[in-house]
Amino acid sequence: MTLAVSVARRTARQALQERRVRLILLRLILVAGFLLLWQVASLGTPAFILPSPARVWGAWRNLVETPSFWTDFGITFWRIIVGFSIAAVVGAVLGIVLGASRLLGDLFEPVLVIINTVSSSIWAIFALIWFGLSNWTTIFVVFMTAMPLILTNVWQGTRTVNREYVELAQTFRMSRTKVLTKIYLPTILPLFFAGARLAFGFGARVSIVAETLGASSGIGYRLRQAADLVQTDQVFAWTLTLVALMIALESIILKPLERHLFSWRERQSA
Amino acid sequence: MSVVRLESVGKSFMRRDGEQLEVLRNIDLEVPERSIVALVGASGCGKSTLLNIIAGLVQPDQGKVLLNDVPSREFRDWRTMAYMFQEDRLFPWRTTAQNVGLGLEAFGVPRTERRERVRKVLELVGLDKFADAFPHELSGGMRSRAALGRSLVTEPAILLMDEPFSKLDPSIRSQMHDEVLRIAALKGMSVIFVTHDVEEAVVLADKIVVLHPRPGRVRETRTIALPYPRNPLSPEVAEDVRLLRLSL
Repeated sequence: MTLAVSVARRTARQALQERRVRLILLRLILVAGFLLLWQVASLGTPAFILPSPARVWGAWRNLVETPSFWTDFGITFWRIIVGFSIAAVVGAVLGIVLGASRLLGDLFEPVLVIINTVSSSIWAIFALIWFGLSNWTTIFVVFMTAMPLILTNVWQGTRTVNREYVELAQTFRMSRTKVLTKIYLPTILPLFFAGARLAFGFGARVSIVAETLGASSGIGYRLRQAADLVQTDQVFAWTLTLVALMIALESIILKPLERHLFSWRERQSA
Repeated sequence: MSVVRLESVGKSFMRRDGEQLEVLRNIDLEVPERSIVALVGASGCGKSTLLNIIAGLVQPDQGKVLLNDVPSREFRDWRTMAYMFQEDRLFPWRTTAQNVGLGLEAFGVPRTERRERVRKVLELVGLDKFADAFPHELSGGMRSRAALGRSLVTEPAILLMDEPFSKLDPSIRSQMHDEVLRIAALKGMSVIFVTHDVEEAVVLADKIVVLHPRPGRVRETRTIALPYPRNPLSPEVAEDVRLLRLSL
């Protein structure tokens, strides 16, 4: 019996390992195929339209060596973080307030709909008018994009709070603050996190748009500069940098954090 | 002294269509110290409302509610009362130990004392090996034990239960009956519970209050004098079950 169990466990682990190896292999094939296609396509096209992978690699290495690379990189990252952080705090607080009061919820629901329908590019133009060429232009656009997403999710989260849990807390005469921290918060957290993740991705993307319009530094600004000078290899190099940044953030910070916070759910699905 | 005493309690609710619905009428009830009282009746006889009135979650329209001879409105010792629901209501994001400790957190008991008391209660309900398991990792019986543990950790003098074991398998249900009887005797608790299972009432209670529906009224009060533990298969228990069925 125990032998059978251990054998079963070993084969299960083996199967898991095989699946992982297979996945890595598939990813490698995808990357290789993509590079090959890119190389072939670049052969018959002028470099200012589609530079070859080797040329982009060279441009990227030059780019990393220039001293302004890390300042541009840093300033964009900083603007995204500031805009996102304000959005997370404001969105979470407003979401809880609107969820807790039916009157306020009904009153402000249309405002949220309107904010959601305004495109980020329009916010960028408004920001340019109001803040000019400053950090706040980008931060404002990130905020206006990220905040409604977080607010909506937290608001929805307050509606999923189990009345039975609150009733149980009442039998213990639990204070309102404790009900909030011990029942509302854990219920809302997964939804907040999902919203925040979505909002961060959107915010990061629109920050580039905002920077191309209203900044004199940062990745977006450099992208436009390179495009104006028809340095297509540099445009590609900046794009690759951005993609790498987002993948790194996702796999180094967001995924591990989510796994840690919601371990009780993961075990549930297992 | 009686731990709970109701005198001509009545309660009506406003229905959605604006009509008054009388749920309870003229209820008298006395629960002596260390006794186990069952509230039995068909659905719609206001059993749960009655329990909620005793727990202070619902205010009656008429009559008096005395807890330890103190009017319910002036009663401040709610910590001495615990409420166990039909559903286990364990928080899915908390481990067994964290779920059991909920009441102590509500009362602001310091962490070290909390841990010690939770450990003792987990031992009492036989879940010490599952302290760090999440609710979805527990069986139905274990979840019910965890819910019982959560009610016991505050060391209540009165335990209120609203059909707490109705969703369990019969064999596990009778295990839970043994647990409740053992712990009630050990801790000197009074238990008031609602059930529609006549056999459960006879096995556990020394006093059974039969309620009549629409509006809920006390139809009769029976005393069960059989010694514990009561075997549901014994002829004495079967006889009392039969008599009780007749009066329902």
